[in-house]
Amino acid sequence: MDRRRFLASLINAIGGAIGAATAFIAGAALLSARFARRRETWVPAARLTDLDEDVPVTATLRVVRDDGYRQVVDREVVFLFREEKGGARVLGSTCTHLGCRVSWDAEHQRFNCPCHGGRFDKNGIVVAGPPPEPLATLTAKVDGDRVHVQL
Amino acid sequence: MSRSTGSWLEARTGYRAGLRHLLDEPLPPGVNWWFTLGSVLLFLLALQFITGVVLTVYYAPTPDHAYDSLRFILAQVSLGRLLRGLHAFGASFIVVAAVAHMLRVFAFGAYKAPREMTWVAGSLLLAVILAFALTGYLLPWDQRAYWATVVTINIVRSTPLAGEWLAATARGGTEVGALTLTRWYAAHVVLLPAALAGLVVLHLYLMRRHGVAGPTVPREGEPRAFYPFHAIKDTIASAAVFAALVGMAAFVEAPLDAPADPTDARYLPRPEWYFLGLFQLLKYSPGPFEPVATVILPALLLIALVLLPFIDRAPERRPGARRAILGVGVAVVVVVAALTALGLRDLPPRRDPRAWTPRAVGGRLLAERANCASCHREGGSATALAELRLARDPDWIAAHAQDPETIAPGSRPPPRDALITPDRAKGVVSYLRRLQMGAAPAPRLSPEDELAVYVYAANCAQCHALDGEGEEVGPELSRVGREKNAEALRTWITDPAEIDPDADMPAFGEKLTAEELTAIVNYLVRRK
Repeated sequence: MDRRRFLASLINAIGGAIGAATAFIAGAALLSARFARRRETWVPAARLTDLDEDVPVTATLRVVRDDGYRQVVDREVVFLFREEKGGARVLGSTCTHLGCRVSWDAEHQRFNCPCHGGRFDKNGIVVAGPPPEPLATLTAKVDGDRVHVQL
Repeated sequence: MSRSTGSWLEARTGYRAGLRHLLDEPLPPGVNWWFTLGSVLLFLLALQFITGVVLTVYYAPTPDHAYDSLRFILAQVSLGRLLRGLHAFGASFIVVAAVAHMLRVFAFGAYKAPREMTWVAGSLLLAVILAFALTGYLLPWDQRAYWATVVTINIVRSTPLAGEWLAATARGGTEVGALTLTRWYAAHVVLLPAALAGLVVLHLYLMRRHGVAGPTVPREGEPRAFYPFHAIKDTIASAAVFAALVGMAAFVEAPLDAPADPTDARYLPRPEWYFLGLFQLLKYSPGPFEPVATVILPALLLIALVLLPFIDRAPERRPGARRAILGVGVAVVVVVAALTALGLRDLPPRRDPRAWTPRAVGGRLLAERANCASCHREGGSATALAELRLARDPDWIAAHAQDPETIAPGSRPPPRDALITPDRAKGVVSYLRRLQMGAAPAPRLSPEDELAVYVYAANCAQCHALDGEGEEVGPELSRVGREKNAEALRTWITDPAEIDPDADMPAFGEKLTAEELTAIVNYLVRRK
């Protein structure tokens, strides 16, 4: 290999190493996913004695969530039922079709979605309209009289 | 790139000719390692651009979020600490490389005809680089950033005639605040990079137009192509500087002070090392002559720098024939270096921000007694203490501690009592800062001393400093044991009016329990 070609490949090698190191540092920082985790928290939602087996109690839960370098309060509306066995059953209020907020229709004993006519029964099962899946069931635990919901 | 794509691109753009023109630049014989400084500087500027862009992705230029967003970069972003170190130390490296490059050109007389405009563009680049440095260190919005900026703007205000107007332009609002920060941020990330890019292009264009000046006495021999014979030197020099910078960023922590506190008049602002000479000069300038040191002299220096090729016009480049101008140059360098060295010597010893002060230890006890960690813990209903944002003002923290319900009703039990007042909240923040910076665990104290620092953080720190932390309404207490014995201290704390009817200090006799009073007296009397 002549001197000229040798020097050219040396320049490429060193330049490549500097470029790779810089790209690694910048790339790691840009693609960083460590803060993408979402912590699950238990939020107290209602008293067990207030719950009913057939009519949901609507609760607006507020949960503090990290939003990068700041914290925001998320509001989540959930429906709580008492279970026969004594526990609590909690349904999310987000329609599984396109994400609208469903509400309880006391007259027809069902959840209505205002957007595209989705209907769910009190167990969250789709009874009419376009939703592909039942309403989400959230994990709940009963601590004394308090029902806590995991968000 | 495949051969056919390359040919197509060549046919459409003629890039090969352009590339060849760039790389085959003929360099006169005798172009050695001294001539790599400009390339190193260009490399550092490019690196600074890359790290700057990535930092911009995470940084928020508002007083409410700037500090926390930087802490987020340091604590949460992968390699964030390294990234910030590269950018912070990179600034210093650039100043050094720029001055070294300029001194090389000066020593070699390379600014002489026909290269006057290359020198002018270079001098303006130095001014832009210093403006970058100045605007850059406001951005973390820590104590140093805030106070250094207050001082800078006051310096601008001392400019004759246009001072007030210039200061108002630099400040944005009536006080240094949100409008100042966005203004300097805009300058740092938009205006100055644009100016820098334009001047670099001009500088390089002029450099190519007139060719590299080469040694002061032209040598015999054929010119050689820039690539690869000089490019290898540029590459090796840049790689060495890169290795040094990465090493520094990896092993030295770039400083970050407490969040900016406009009410803290005790903070001693010190500029970056490259402005220390100017800072020192300021100390020697009596009142009416202040603008001479702050504005007139630096402005004259910059003007002289720009005009150098028009002042020193003799075509002779050999150092032997330029004794006078070289002497002036050496004198300027010596004076600036001496002022900088004096400034460095005068720097107050840096406090380790992780070292525990009585207020911080007391703040930890306050946070424990206020049960903060019942919610603020891993897996709790709120962000863990070690990760909480810190840029809240003490009133907010106090309000929140007294009534967490206003933040998230139903999610937290009410506090037992209103333990955290705004004054006490500062102690809690002081503790949280150490917790979040990964400080060693707080020193273990005897139960009585623990009670004493708690009493101090809860009652005294709002007026008295101890070991550098605490307000300065009343006297510093770090050496109070030298002046007062236990009996005097006890009487004074119980009811100052007994000793001095005009005392400003309130009586604490009824606020403290007997045990607390004894603890704080025994603690303070030992402070000698």
